[in-house]
Amino acid sequence: MSLFHRHRGLTPYLLLAPGVLFLTVFFLVPLGFLAYQSLESGNIDFGYTFTWAWSNYSDALHNYRAQFIRSITYAGIATLLALVISYPVAYWIAFRGGRWKNLLLLFIVAPFFVTYLIRTLAWETILSDNGFVVNTLQTLHVLGPSGRLLATSTAVVTGITYNFLPFMALPLYVSLEQIDGRMIEAAEDLYASKLQAFLRVTFPLSLPGVVAGTLLTFIPAAGDFINAQLLGSPDNHMIGNVIQSKFLELTDYPAAAAMSFILMAGILIAVFLYARLVGTEQLTGTAG
Amino acid sequence: MTQELTRRQLLERAAMGGAAITFPGILAACGSSGSKASGGTTSVEQKLAKTLNFSNWTLYIDTKGSAHPSLDAFQKKTGVHVNYVEDINDNASFFGKIQGPLSRGQSIDRDIIVLTDNDRYLSLMIKKGWAEKLDKSAIPNFKNLVDVQKHPNFDPDREYSLPWQSGMSGIAYNDTLTDPVLSVDDLLENPKLKGKITVLNSMGDAMTIVMLANGDDPTNVTDKSWNAAFKRIQTAVNNKQIRQFTGNDYAPILARGDLSAAMSWSGDIAQLGNKNIHWNVPEAGGALWTDNMLIPKGGNIYTASVYMNYVYDPKVQGLMTAGDPKRKIVGIYYIPPVKGAGEAAKQFNPSAANNPLIFPTAKTLSKVKIFDSKALNNQKYLEQWQNLISG
Amino acid sequence: MSTVAVERATRTNVLSKVWTFVKHHILTVYSILFFVYLLLPIAVVVVFSFNNPPGKFNYTWNEFTWDNWLHWDAVPGIRSSIVLSLQIALIASIVATALGTLIALALVRYGFRGRATTNILIFLPLSTPEIVLGASLLTLFLNISFIRVQFGFWTILIAHIMFCISFAVVTVKARLVGFDRHLEEAAMDLGANEWTTFQKVTLPLIAPAILAALLLCFAISIDDFVVTYFNSGSEVTFPLFVWGAARIGAPPQVNVIGTAIFLIAVTLMLINVLVQMRREKRGLA
Repeated sequence: MSLFHRHRGLTPYLLLAPGVLFLTVFFLVPLGFLAYQSLESGNIDFGYTFTWAWSNYSDALHNYRAQFIRSITYAGIATLLALVISYPVAYWIAFRGGRWKNLLLLFIVAPFFVTYLIRTLAWETILSDNGFVVNTLQTLHVLGPSGRLLATSTAVVTGITYNFLPFMALPLYVSLEQIDGRMIEAAEDLYASKLQAFLRVTFPLSLPGVVAGTLLTFIPAAGDFINAQLLGSPDNHMIGNVIQSKFLELTDYPAAAAMSFILMAGILIAVFLYARLVGTEQLTGTAG
Repeated sequence: MTQELTRRQLLERAAMGGAAITFPGILAACGSSGSKASGGTTSVEQKLAKTLNFSNWTLYIDTKGSAHPSLDAFQKKTGVHVNYVEDINDNASFFGKIQGPLSRGQSIDRDIIVLTDNDRYLSLMIKKGWAEKLDKSAIPNFKNLVDVQKHPNFDPDREYSLPWQSGMSGIAYNDTLTDPVLSVDDLLENPKLKGKITVLNSMGDAMTIVMLANGDDPTNVTDKSWNAAFKRIQTAVNNKQIRQFTGNDYAPILARGDLSAAMSWSGDIAQLGNKNIHWNVPEAGGALWTDNMLIPKGGNIYTASVYMNYVYDPKVQGLMTAGDPKRKIVGIYYIPPVKGAGEAAKQFNPSAANNPLIFPTAKTLSKVKIFDSKALNNQKYLEQWQNLISG
Repeated sequence: MSTVAVERATRTNVLSKVWTFVKHHILTVYSILFFVYLLLPIAVVVVFSFNNPPGKFNYTWNEFTWDNWLHWDAVPGIRSSIVLSLQIALIASIVATALGTLIALALVRYGFRGRATTNILIFLPLSTPEIVLGASLLTLFLNISFIRVQFGFWTILIAHIMFCISFAVVTVKARLVGFDRHLEEAAMDLGANEWTTFQKVTLPLIAPAILAALLLCFAISIDDFVVTYFNSGSEVTFPLFVWGAARIGAPPQVNVIGTAIFLIAVTLMLINVLVQMRREKRGLA
């Protein structure tokens, strides 16, 4: 008996309608304006005109390839780190959290209540060149005697990881919490070790969460600019910084628009490859 | 001359596809000297509005608790309520926000905004005709404007803008970490400071200071002087002398001792309250920047001009700048553009009145220069600069 | 069994017991470390909320004071900015989660035309750099020439709902993908109709995901800067205020407010937990 509705009926469309309509009006239409703008040429002094300026795209790819690649790299590393760091905690909250689950979830998003700038300033205080952390690392010879943590690519990646932890942890939790503890018990009875039970049963069942967390972390992180701006040196800047400067300082709106589309395309390609890797059912559910 | 201006403005507006090209407007521009006011433009209706919408930078006005004494006094005097909003925190982003409506000929619902002159946007607003002309007849206190501000190159006759406050850019150093850093040579090329200094990400500030150190004139930039200064900074980036390019976020880094020296703004250092950090105008000279009041297109010219006249009263300015500890009024603590404000401040806050960072001597002022606004709008320079600070 | 074998068996038993004990607690220890790492900057923020700054900048510790807490709204504009941010965050997270849950349900459970396109539509806002997202939404508002758009609360709210929907969809989907449909089947076999099943079986089971989506959207909304900036008119939200104030020196009251929001949220959650505990006790009694 089929578990899935293969309705040709209206239900799915009714469910989709409000949200999709909202997004169409307030996202797709603006995106259309952006697309139009990406093919314009001109400058702020004399205005911009639509000229099918595909050169905006080719120039962007040509001149800023390093930043594009760097963004994907930083975002990828940050996502991996976030996954490794958050998974055990999500597991712990899901299976050991008991009645404190929701409170623990609140703690995970708590840093967002103090605005990005303030918590980054706090981190800069903690990771100061003369602070406890850096001194310890220098004593352990992880850092050279004049080494520093701030204004490096390490700081940028760490900043991105930290600021995107909730986006990884919460979806992971959501998926893990659903797993019936008895299934794990049964698996442990069947398999020789807890580790195997985890690898064969728990982890695969949590894959939807892993996929969701990965997407919610990687995709926005690739376009991030603020971590690089505050925590990096010029050679750590990402494509988000370039787009920012094209838009604001150089008032080159067509270039900023074109670069945004290139970034979006790059991200979609990465997501597509990722979906291939994990199996599209994880991404879209098995109804298709 | 004035007819030409209005006609050019009209054509510019038409080119942008802006709205509001009315028939009487065309007549006024094209033919008759048909204006009643002496300025040659259509006369400004001399009627005070009920509200003045004033957008300014955050914490850039006198405060007493959660009130602003100067604004309250203005309301008492004229009956105009000032809707004071602190939504400007950066020239570039503010311009990025208002250029949308302005380029479509729409008003941005503000009567006064404040933009800095060492960034391109101030001159851009004026060039594109997005600023209204001041009603000088309502600003008799205009005569109190300090001489050095009377003829800036982006607004030679001060028709569109009036300074709000100024500040200086120079070099600050931490005396516990380094010997005095008093010159650009030291800042950019002293190997002992490697990785321990920052440079301002503002092209106007950084290039002014470096050009002066090269012996060039930043008020009149040439390709040659630009390239020389640019190359110098680029070398410092390449050999990791410069840790970061910063806005005013150098302040926390300096405060916790991660920097030995920083290119910085005078007001910030005064506010750090740290005895070990000293700010100086560099030996070869520093930069002077001024935040200017502007009336964006669609703003109420007369009411805005009346307000500007009010703040150009030396006593008002003195109190606004220096504050008054006896009445718990906290001042702005930047450099006022009004003659006599220093004298007036003495009766309110004598220690602030004697603070050379707030009321600099003529000698100090002679060493600070304003960057060439033509260079600020040079797209080639801008791109070079952005590529430098954005890797 | 020989004595040696018995000994070996006992030893292995003890070892495995110890190992189990350690493994059990490693996870807890790790998680505690995680929360320390996560909340370390918050600790710094809290500490500095009691600081009396030496100048206008709150970057170095000077001396302890209660003043900032007592006069938390002594900074002009700070109170209205946080009130606005909270209002918007609350409404936006609820609306976005509701819309997002509906979309997630449709995407996971139904096969329909345009499924792949809808999936792409959900990912697109996530991948758009904030500055062009904010600026192009602004362009939309400016081009609606038949209404004179009043920038402020409503435009900010629309913007926030717009970029939060995707987060809600992906979060709830993570739950729905692994959802055991047999439970719903069982309910329907027992005579419940689709709506009752949804109410009594589905919704409670995906409740954790909905809560997670709410929390995530709230956090994103209350911290958003760029998109808000472009669409706020002259309204100032808390992040906008902080960024502006930081130029001259963000006052310690900013720390106070951040801490306060956190404490209030924790308190509300704790009350919720206590109420649940009492309900359980009564249930058992």
